[in-house]
Amino acid sequence: MNQRVLIVDDEPPARERLRRLVGELGGIEVSAEASGGEQAVRLAGELRPDVVLLDVRMPGMNGLEAARHMALLPEPPAVVFTTAYDAYAVEAFDAQAVGYLLKPVRAEKLKAALQHASRLAGRQLQRLAARDPQQAARTHVAARLGDQVRLIPVADVYYFAADQKYTTVRHPGGSDLIEDSLRTLENEFPGQFVRVHRNALVSVDRLAAIERDAEGQYHVVLRDINERLAVSRRLAGELKERFRL
Amino acid sequence: MPEPTGRDLRSLNLPDFCAARAVLAVVLIVTLTALVLAIARQHGGVAFWLDLGRTALFLLWVGMGSAAALCLLRLRLASMPLGLASALALGSVLVVIAVVSLGVLWLGSSALLGPRATNLLLPSAPQNFFAENIGMGAIIGSLALRYFYVTGEWRRNVELQARARVRALQARIRPHFLFNSMNTIAALTRSDPARAEEAVEDLADLFRANLNEKRSSITLKEELEVARIYQRIEQLRLGERLQVIWDVADLPMRAMVPGLLMQPLLENAIYHGVEPRPAGGTVTVSGTQDGELIELTVRNPLPDAGNAAHSGNRVALENIRERMNLTYPGRSSVEANRVGDEYIVRLRFPHIEDSQRSSSL
Repeated sequence: MNQRVLIVDDEPPARERLRRLVGELGGIEVSAEASGGEQAVRLAGELRPDVVLLDVRMPGMNGLEAARHMALLPEPPAVVFTTAYDAYAVEAFDAQAVGYLLKPVRAEKLKAALQHASRLAGRQLQRLAARDPQQAARTHVAARLGDQVRLIPVADVYYFAADQKYTTVRHPGGSDLIEDSLRTLENEFPGQFVRVHRNALVSVDRLAAIERDAEGQYHVVLRDINERLAVSRRLAGELKERFRL
Repeated sequence: MPEPTGRDLRSLNLPDFCAARAVLAVVLIVTLTALVLAIARQHGGVAFWLDLGRTALFLLWVGMGSAAALCLLRLRLASMPLGLASALALGSVLVVIAVVSLGVLWLGSSALLGPRATNLLLPSAPQNFFAENIGMGAIIGSLALRYFYVTGEWRRNVELQARARVRALQARIRPHFLFNSMNTIAALTRSDPARAEEAVEDLADLFRANLNEKRSSITLKEELEVARIYQRIEQLRLGERLQVIWDVADLPMRAMVPGLLMQPLLENAIYHGVEPRPAGGTVTVSGTQDGELIELTVRNPLPDAGNAAHSGNRVALENIRERMNLTYPGRSSVEANRVGDEYIVRLRFPHIEDSQRSSSL
């Protein structure tokens, strides 16, 4: 069976060239093209390509983040990154033994990369992201949904809440389970989210007020949704002062 | 600019003793040294002014003689390694001191001056006179050589730093841009060879403008053309995501400006304001002339939240500010501001035309 490839690059000429090179190799089929990270994650879930040729630098969701979300798919594709010039990324790829191609891509290197392309482990990708000095924070968080991955823009999130094992993300479309721990999220999005309780991280933009009920328990009131979250006594005063609630 | 590599860079850096300035400095230093010596010897029983006078007279002969010797040896010293040149310079100064000292001693033993003048002007202890002078000459000469060496090194460092900075400023085409352009051209080579050819020509022109070291200033028309070439290359890559509005018809196209005044601003606007936005954006370049003052404005949308300002931007602005200041000292300004959801850079500078160039155009 032919190897199936998904091509991801924001620049039309770059996609066009990869498509032609892949076509000339023979035995490989281009299943689709995507011009951005979000589209790429969606197509990877729907079409289940064997390999994704993924541009690192893209507006919106970049290649590293897209790869992290794709790694959540039940059958994640192998990933080969492409980059025109990105000293940090190349260094990180070498360190993590991740396949990459430098643009303009040479046909023989493309062939070798497609043959040796391997699936990336989530941990490997996290280390890559940690080395990226430009954009360490993701634009989206991803939830497994059947055999697909659902992307939730971080800017839309109301809050994250932790159960024993999972983290729930509450957003305008409902709520979903994600695998990131509250601690990871808190470190990744400082300034955007604030800890109100041992088990809750709330979007700073959604904080409306802090109230105290008859039993003396503090709650945060959120903008846009009619939900209240418990606030630990220790954090209540600090939050009131910091956000003038 | 090629580096002078063949020469030993650690050479002796003496001032040019053939020049009037250096000779004047020697006179000044000699007089001050005489003053110091006279003050130090005040209690020797000799009248102060007399001591100062004869010391200064002696040292002037030594100073002028040394300056003459170093002036004659100048070219030879410059081509020698540091150690040898230092030794030769010091040696020639000591020879001068020896000759002048022997002259003084000879004058004392002759009957030319008469006994009164001899007692007043000549050293009271002729037996030590020669050795003392050579000793002092060796110490002071060594100190002076060391001083010239250190100041020379310092000046060379300053120059090297300045040159390195100019080179860094000029070779500032982003590698990211270069490799992406190459990739675009590789794609077009098959699908649209005519456009690929154009892109190669544009890239060549752009690099020529960037590598141009000789002509520090060009006409506004030429500079705007470089910026337009840059836009054409980026347009191939970014397609409809990039829109540029040019509103520059009112500008005096023959005004002289420092090269690469506009292009880096457009590059920044695209790199920071258009590329990071999934939907792209519009960059507006506008120019007006108010009397003798030209104003150029580049505005671009701010990148989406999360992509904070990059430091590369500030480097380019500092660079432009510095070069404008060199071209129009104190008469230009660079402003960069966030206004609403736009980033606006405004350059103001006087309208200057090069009479020779404009007549030949």
